[in-house]
Amino acid sequence: MDRYSRQHRIAGIGQHGQERLRSATVLVVGCGALGTHSADALARAGVGNLWLCDRDVVEWSNLQRQVLFTEADARAGIPKATAAATRLREANSDVRIVAHVAECSATFLAALPGRPDLVLDGTDNFPTRYLLNDWCHANRVPWIYAGATGTEGAAMVVRPGGPCLRCLWPDAPATADVGTCETVGILAPAIAAVAAFQVAEALKLLVGSPDVATGVFTCDVWRGHYTRLPLLDRPSPDCVACQHGQHPALVAPAPMAATLCGRDAVQIDPGTTAALDLTALAGQLAEVATDLQRTPHLLRFTADGVRFSVFPGGRALLFGVRDPLRARALYDRWIGRRP
Amino acid sequence: MIYLDHAATSWPKPEVVPAAMQRWFTDVGVSASRGAGDRCQVAARTVATARAALAHRCSSDPAHVAFTSGATESLNLVLRALLHPGAAVVTTAFEHSSVVRPLAALASERNLRLEVLPPHGDRGIDLAAVRSAFAHHRPSALVCTHASNVTGAVLPAAELCALAREHRVLSVLDVSQTAGWLDLRVGADVLCGSAHKALLGPPGLGFVAHRGLQLPAQKQGGTGSSVALAQHPDHWPDAFEAGTPNTPAIFGLEAALAARSEATERRELAATLATLDAFAARLEAMDGFRVHAAKTAERTPVLSFTHARLDPAEIGAILAGADVHVRTGHHCAPWLHEHLGTAAAGTVRVSIGPNTAAAELDFVADLLAGL
Ligand SMILES: Cc1ncc(COP(=O)(O)O)c(C=O)c1O
Ligand SMILES: [Zn+2]
Repeated sequence: MDRYSRQHRIAGIGQHGQERLRSATVLVVGCGALGTHSADALARAGVGNLWLCDRDVVEWSNLQRQVLFTEADARAGIPKATAAATRLREANSDVRIVAHVAECSATFLAALPGRPDLVLDGTDNFPTRYLLNDWCHANRVPWIYAGATGTEGAAMVVRPGGPCLRCLWPDAPATADVGTCETVGILAPAIAAVAAFQVAEALKLLVGSPDVATGVFTCDVWRGHYTRLPLLDRPSPDCVACQHGQHPALVAPAPMAATLCGRDAVQIDPGTTAALDLTALAGQLAEVATDLQRTPHLLRFTADGVRFSVFPGGRALLFGVRDPLRARALYDRWIGRRP
Repeated sequence: MIYLDHAATSWPKPEVVPAAMQRWFTDVGVSASRGAGDRCQVAARTVATARAALAHRCSSDPAHVAFTSGATESLNLVLRALLHPGAAVVTTAFEHSSVVRPLAALASERNLRLEVLPPHGDRGIDLAAVRSAFAHHRPSALVCTHASNVTGAVLPAAELCALAREHRVLSVLDVSQTAGWLDLRVGADVLCGSAHKALLGPPGLGFVAHRGLQLPAQKQGGTGSSVALAQHPDHWPDAFEAGTPNTPAIFGLEAALAARSEATERRELAATLATLDAFAARLEAMDGFRVHAAKTAERTPVLSFTHARLDPAEIGAILAGADVHVRTGHHCAPWLHEHLGTAAAGTVRVSIGPNTAAAELDFVADLLAGL
């Protein structure tokens, strides 16, 4: 019995589309809620090659919405990319899955063994989205932006020649302005809704369908609103990336993380000098972090069992972690920085 | 930038240092004793001048001065050459990792017994305790730093070396923190030092100077001498100088040594200490600060401090935000912090050089006063 028989009965796909899926390569960046939903759907749909990238490990608070992980993964602190790959191989052994336990940086993308046919945004932060935007534009690879916080979600297909994320928002918004899953929470169906949009568009792109959606999909699952804003049917003439060919995120210095000698602590230097609004950040964290303390020189708080000291230039000390990769994940999660 | 990390490495260097290194790259380009041409002669002369200048400061024969890649290599080679299986070693809690770690490695490899003397009173070390350690443990060596790289305390090296001689114990003195500030002629059997700190030379260069001991090679390789033999030479300094030397760094050091007399060093030290003392006095008067500075008669311009409510790393980050470069943490002195009560987080270290301006330290003190 053909496992894909229900799928190629869809007129837009057919036997031919199924073949194209089988030979396709998709890079999924971030194996959190969105990344696991979308990767699961693509593996089951028979996309031949999946590259997964995530630097973090499975934690207890992930299990509420990150579908590929089990309690055992969380207990053992398995890297998300590894745990996801294991589960996906069980779901479909025909798919070639490569797990990268790594930070998605410009260096990481440059070192990929080839160009994927499509990149899916499964990240939880804007710095990485702007990196994907710039890298995909420079390499003429389509990508699908998607994100959800609280009960709301948004998604957009970005194709070579079409409008890009920087056309929509020239600069990344500050974490303190947009909130994160940590600060405003996340309802699992909001993820499912944007993942449904992302996966459907992914399948259409991969089979070469002319029906790929334009504009920005937005939803609020609590209010039951699902719309597609017909914004941006063409690139913004001022866009530095898709109109002026500049890729700021590819040349921005990567943040540096260094374990302090002899200590359980990591220092992060964001690599940008833009000031961070510690008061706004303190306001965002008020409900969700503990031991919040604001002085003229720094902001201290505790989150995920780690003590943070954040300084006006964006530099931060994380006490209670040793692994620089994990520290950077925590930094992006709780503080964020926008190149 | 306000640079306050001279105990790690001095900066900026006198202009003659990069100029001499540049001269090697443009006009010389070769090593001494690796050929017979004119340029080899120039290299040989400059290396010999640098070696003689160091020998003079260390009260050694130039034939007993070897260049190394740094004090770390010097100490590793010397300790490996000197310490036999089962030997006892007396050392101090002030030591840098470049003493602590080789000793720890040798302790397990060669079953050494280590006797670590704690800090004591205004002289840094209790000479009576040293005497009794010598009598009781019958060590083969005293391995000790000339000055603490955390507090600036200068140990009574002349007394220590004299006591060691009296007890037929070899003395190995780490002069990384004092070369370029203090008289090194304190009677040690072996001196290990570094070019890139108060000597104002380039990094990647250090030296061993001794008083005619048998120090067998610990690394073998090309020396430009005895080339016909498969056996590494055992005569000094070739024995300790396997491999292509860091000639441009030796050119830099030679220029630094020629440009600054020992009298100048002493004068600069006195002025630099006065600058640092004024800063220490301000810190001590400020609420929440605790200063860990030497009380010894001789000192180097280094001090540490801690704060009641801020972690040293937090203070380092705040200062870095104002473009002030200090060092925070344990400063590679793993044993000392137990005694200072700073084992958990270390200290903030301020170490200055001959060109640090009082106004720079005032600016930093003002910043700290606002914390
Ligand atoms: C007391 C002491 N010993 C040894 C060293 C090591 O010197 P080097 O950097 O030349 O290896 C240092 C400095 O790093 C030091 O402060
Ligand atoms: Zn654009």
